[in-house]
Amino acid sequence: MKNNRIILLIVVLAVVIFSAGETSKAAKKEIRVPLRFDDYYTYGEVVEAMQALHNAYPQLTKLEIVGKSEEARVIYAMTINNPKTGKELGKPAIYVDGNIHGNEIQATEVCLYMLDYLLGNYGKNQEVTKLVDRVCFYVIPTVNVDGRYHFMTDANTSSSNRGLRIPKDDDRDGLKDEDFPDDLDGDGNICMMRKKDPFGRLKTDPEDDRLMIAVKPGEKGEWTILGQEGIDNDGDGRVNEDSEGYVDPNRNWGFDWAPEYVQMGAGDYPFSGVGLKSISEWIYKRTNICLAYSLHNAAGMYLRGPSRKALGEYSSRDVEVYDYIGKHSERMVPYYHYLICWKDLYTTYGDSVEWITQMMGAYGYVIELFASDEESYKTRDDESKSKPGQKDLMPLMEGNEQIRERLKFSDNLVQGELYKPWKPYKHPTYGDIEIGGWVKLSSRLPAPFMLKNMVHRNASAMIFAAKHLPEVKLDVFDVSKIGKNLYRIRTRLVNSRAIPSMNYDAQKNKLYPQDILTISGKKAKVVAGGKLNNIYTDHVTYKKHKPEVQSLFVPGFGKVEHQFLVSGKGEIEIIYRSRHAGTITKTLKLK
Amino acid sequence: MRKKTGILFCVLIFVMATAAVSAEWTFDKYHKPKELNTELQTLARQNPKIAIIHTLGKSYGGRAVMVLEIGPEVGKKERIFPAVFVAANMEGTVLISSEAAMYLAEEIIKKPGVRKDKTWYVLPCGNPDAAAGYFARPLKRDSRNARPHNDDMDDRTDEDGVNDLDGNGIITKMRVKDPQGQWISIPGEPRLMKKADRTKGEKGVYKLYTEGIDNDGDGLYNEDGPGGVNIGINFPHLFKFFTKNGGSWAGSETESFFLIKFIMEHREIGMTFTMGATNFCLVPPKGGRKGAVDLTKLKIPKRFAGFLNADPEKTYTIKEVIELVKPLAPQGMEINESLVAGFLGLGAVVNPLPEDLKFYKDLSDKYKEFLKKAKLDGKRLDPAAAKDGSFELWSYYHLGLPSFSMDFWTLPEVKDEEKKEPEITPEKLEKMTSDEFIALGEEKIQKFLKDSGAPDQFKASQIISALKGGMMTTMKMAEMIRQMPKPKGKEGEDPKEKALLAFSDKQMEGKGFVAWKAFKHPTLGNMEIGGSIPFADNTPPEAMIHDLLKGQVPWVFEVASKMARIKINKTEANALGAGVYRIKVWIENTGYLPYPTAMGKRNNRILPVLLSLEGKGFSVIEGKKRSSIKSIDGYQTQAAEWIVRADKPIQLLIKAKTSIAWCDQKQIKLGETK
Repeated sequence: MKNNRIILLIVVLAVVIFSAGETSKAAKKEIRVPLRFDDYYTYGEVVEAMQALHNAYPQLTKLEIVGKSEEARVIYAMTINNPKTGKELGKPAIYVDGNIHGNEIQATEVCLYMLDYLLGNYGKNQEVTKLVDRVCFYVIPTVNVDGRYHFMTDANTSSSNRGLRIPKDDDRDGLKDEDFPDDLDGDGNICMMRKKDPFGRLKTDPEDDRLMIAVKPGEKGEWTILGQEGIDNDGDGRVNEDSEGYVDPNRNWGFDWAPEYVQMGAGDYPFSGVGLKSISEWIYKRTNICLAYSLHNAAGMYLRGPSRKALGEYSSRDVEVYDYIGKHSERMVPYYHYLICWKDLYTTYGDSVEWITQMMGAYGYVIELFASDEESYKTRDDESKSKPGQKDLMPLMEGNEQIRERLKFSDNLVQGELYKPWKPYKHPTYGDIEIGGWVKLSSRLPAPFMLKNMVHRNASAMIFAAKHLPEVKLDVFDVSKIGKNLYRIRTRLVNSRAIPSMNYDAQKNKLYPQDILTISGKKAKVVAGGKLNNIYTDHVTYKKHKPEVQSLFVPGFGKVEHQFLVSGKGEIEIIYRSRHAGTITKTLKLK
Repeated sequence: MRKKTGILFCVLIFVMATAAVSAEWTFDKYHKPKELNTELQTLARQNPKIAIIHTLGKSYGGRAVMVLEIGPEVGKKERIFPAVFVAANMEGTVLISSEAAMYLAEEIIKKPGVRKDKTWYVLPCGNPDAAAGYFARPLKRDSRNARPHNDDMDDRTDEDGVNDLDGNGIITKMRVKDPQGQWISIPGEPRLMKKADRTKGEKGVYKLYTEGIDNDGDGLYNEDGPGGVNIGINFPHLFKFFTKNGGSWAGSETESFFLIKFIMEHREIGMTFTMGATNFCLVPPKGGRKGAVDLTKLKIPKRFAGFLNADPEKTYTIKEVIELVKPLAPQGMEINESLVAGFLGLGAVVNPLPEDLKFYKDLSDKYKEFLKKAKLDGKRLDPAAAKDGSFELWSYYHLGLPSFSMDFWTLPEVKDEEKKEPEITPEKLEKMTSDEFIALGEEKIQKFLKDSGAPDQFKASQIISALKGGMMTTMKMAEMIRQMPKPKGKEGEDPKEKALLAFSDKQMEGKGFVAWKAFKHPTLGNMEIGGSIPFADNTPPEAMIHDLLKGQVPWVFEVASKMARIKINKTEANALGAGVYRIKVWIENTGYLPYPTAMGKRNNRILPVLLSLEGKGFSVIEGKKRSSIKSIDGYQTQAAEWIVRADKPIQLLIKAKTSIAWCDQKQIKLGETK
């Protein structure tokens, strides 16, 4: 009995030490500001990097715990705001998150880089300083913290471990997550299994003996692909059919959510993911978010909604804003395309960016990081011959030509690290087989030497967009006495940036109140007031009730003017209040 | 100290011996949400062996949302018995539904038979903030919880609610003479108002408002009263975005989110009852909604057709599309209906599936008989139609469960003296064949259309030819007729108001209406205040509560007794020689309802019946140790077969497992000589 207890204690201790190892292992790599971007950070290192940033720039940053994941890992958010220039909610904000899919790890690196770049250049570079002083950045570098941990720690393919750690019975046999793929050769990758088979439908590619091509009718076969590396763990005659989840963290959000039978990965109900629910609550309180990015991989895309055709196209004036930023992004990040989710990719329900767009009234983009053209193996001549456009949008359709190129890229630029040559293995069910193929850190992830370019270009595109957060100025451009005891006051609100002070769809949907312009004075009464449509013809749409309170918005690169007729005297206060463009107060005296 | 323990012991014995319901609780008044919770706690305390409270959370207004569990597996995590979930008063404005839930809870406690192998979850009040409104003064009807919401999108929130101007404690209507008024009072019944009908030469006299002032001076009356979200429409099926009172998204409120979570975590729940304003027991869930996708006739959009090798002009079945996608998918990726449906953006099921309507209709006929016996079958106004985003629709479409609902009272229909029982009703119509219907003749059909409120352009001759040509069926037509607005009365009055007035005069000593009385309004000037009293049309007088519940609530037990129940009917083992046996097992659904519903099959949420062979010393030659049967209709049996090998005589245990339709197991002896 006592012995048992001791064993138990040892086991418990071992578990504790093992899990602590996550961070202690991280300590081996020294994490200092400025951060390095020559390899991928583990979950533990991401946390350390955020702490390092906060320690280096305590006055500009806030490091918060947003919530915990299914496996109780902490989800952190970093806010960049200069309190000397105002409070967070009084400034327009950009929200950025990454790695919502566990396997899409480079998204976190882009987030960390953007934080590091902004903070490191504050006070040094004038453009960065101006931006950081004017707007607020909310960044959650890793949304799916369990996913990142398991992707980097466990054996995986480049596409596995996307989901939330909510056990689910994929094969409907009464057991949950009981038949994962297995790392049979213990190399940390889940590769493919193939078997010599004269009746197979594949043969060795004569151009590269690591690849296989389909046999033509009448030709003798050579190989059969047996699927991903693994065994039939639950003895049901199927291999690897019930692995983690699958609840897709980017199909579980509250806007336009649809159940599992409509769309795989939906989860049982909106926000069934505990971490996601915490994040949504955290975001919902930050009413100043005007712009949102969610970073994914791969295929090189800047996507905007709608995520589903039936939602209807966004207001045309909103589309103008999307296009303006989207087309600039295409120029800043070569090989990337600016596209529309439902039309150019596929339909989704309950995705995170659509939620932020529709429920927060923000402009939302998804970035699909890393285009396969970036690891092509072409001469300039080849390049000019290849068709421009969307050939790599559908990874399903990747042709052998492209795969051969990627192999050469792997062979010659990373000395073969992206692809495991086929090696024999004795499988309990299939007997003599071979295991080989693309490794975990391939296909959707740039090789480490390309990281710096990727993080810098994409962070720059987001910084460009952040510069277009609304910047509104209030000008009282006319105060004139037009009668005994009666004054005419004219105001002009000007937005010098691309993003309006309120998104057009948010106005259409009455998502929240418009901006408010109020005018008041202790010894004054507003007799009439309204929108000044034409300054030359003096055409004003006067508001019938409560003329001292005007509802309005300021378009991107635009203005709005008002006229008030005020009787009385003394000090007049004019206040502009906007969820997205802050508060401005002006006072004047009637003489 | 010792003595105290002794007393406690006696009390415990008493509690264990008899299931207790509290004596003070009576069904002759309506109870506040707080009183409902206190009573639930009392019931749980008095019956600790069979009852327990689950507190789901707190409403925005700080009221606890409580579920009482009653049954044989209280507090257990692993469960073998199925459960029924009863949700009442989700809209907060149907007071009798909370009383019905309490009545049911007491009955369950009193009747060991109904809870011996079944768990009950009873939520008497799903929207306590709104329900508390009935007990507050001034009296007003509002389904919203206490979340602040800026209804008029101005610079202030919840700043312009109703005001009890005449000080009678009741919010009614205001009518003001106005040249632009649209309303007139009904000739012969000056208490009722109707919209002036220009085609009859009528000219409007009044403008109508709810009672109150323009608190925020914006020219509008009562446009931003306190309150946020109607919990009753905050569920994920057909949730409507950007409404004034539906909430930001499905499950945006504590009340709804934690209810959804609770139900999803309790996979033993196999049936739901919603007590409120709808009645699926009487009127099956409505179909006829546009936007349903036919899975046998799918079109493949051009942008996918290319790489799928499909013809965008042709139609495909979902199975055919799966076959088209399979060769393109990465190795090891499973291509199923759900994946393809998502990929093609087919969307959700929006109409009840025909297979399920069969049991809904049959049970509705039985319920009518039941009501006749209870003498509660008087003609009354129709129950409300289920709303988009409602709990009862979510339960059917997303949970895939038999979802029943009950209202317990609507106003008695006013008998029109000249009107006889119509020769044709939608109920009769859907049971007729097209030929039988056509045989009635054009004249009768035309009259039926007119009486049903069909627009003038619907001609009997067209209907007849549509029926002959097969474009229309009697079933579809009945559905259409049901959807049509009820024909207005002779004078054009709202039938509901007319019924309320009649009921008020006969049964409530006129208290259902406040007579119009002159009042000087601060901004509208001389006007009148009066009209129907909130809740009078959906909340029967307290003296009626007990009999209404006694007559109707027991139907819940009838329906619950019809749940699917999986049993191993028969087993057979044939020795094929040399220790090899063929085993055959018949799995029966001894219940009336199917396992699962057609919707449960479609939405994949209900697991198949899981079969397993357990024991030592055998191997399976044909079949699998763990296998499944996807569905078994009510009163139907399906067989499963295996070939096994056992060198020595063994005992083989066969298990059939479900979470919502019980479990069963049987031993088979292999290798025993006779």
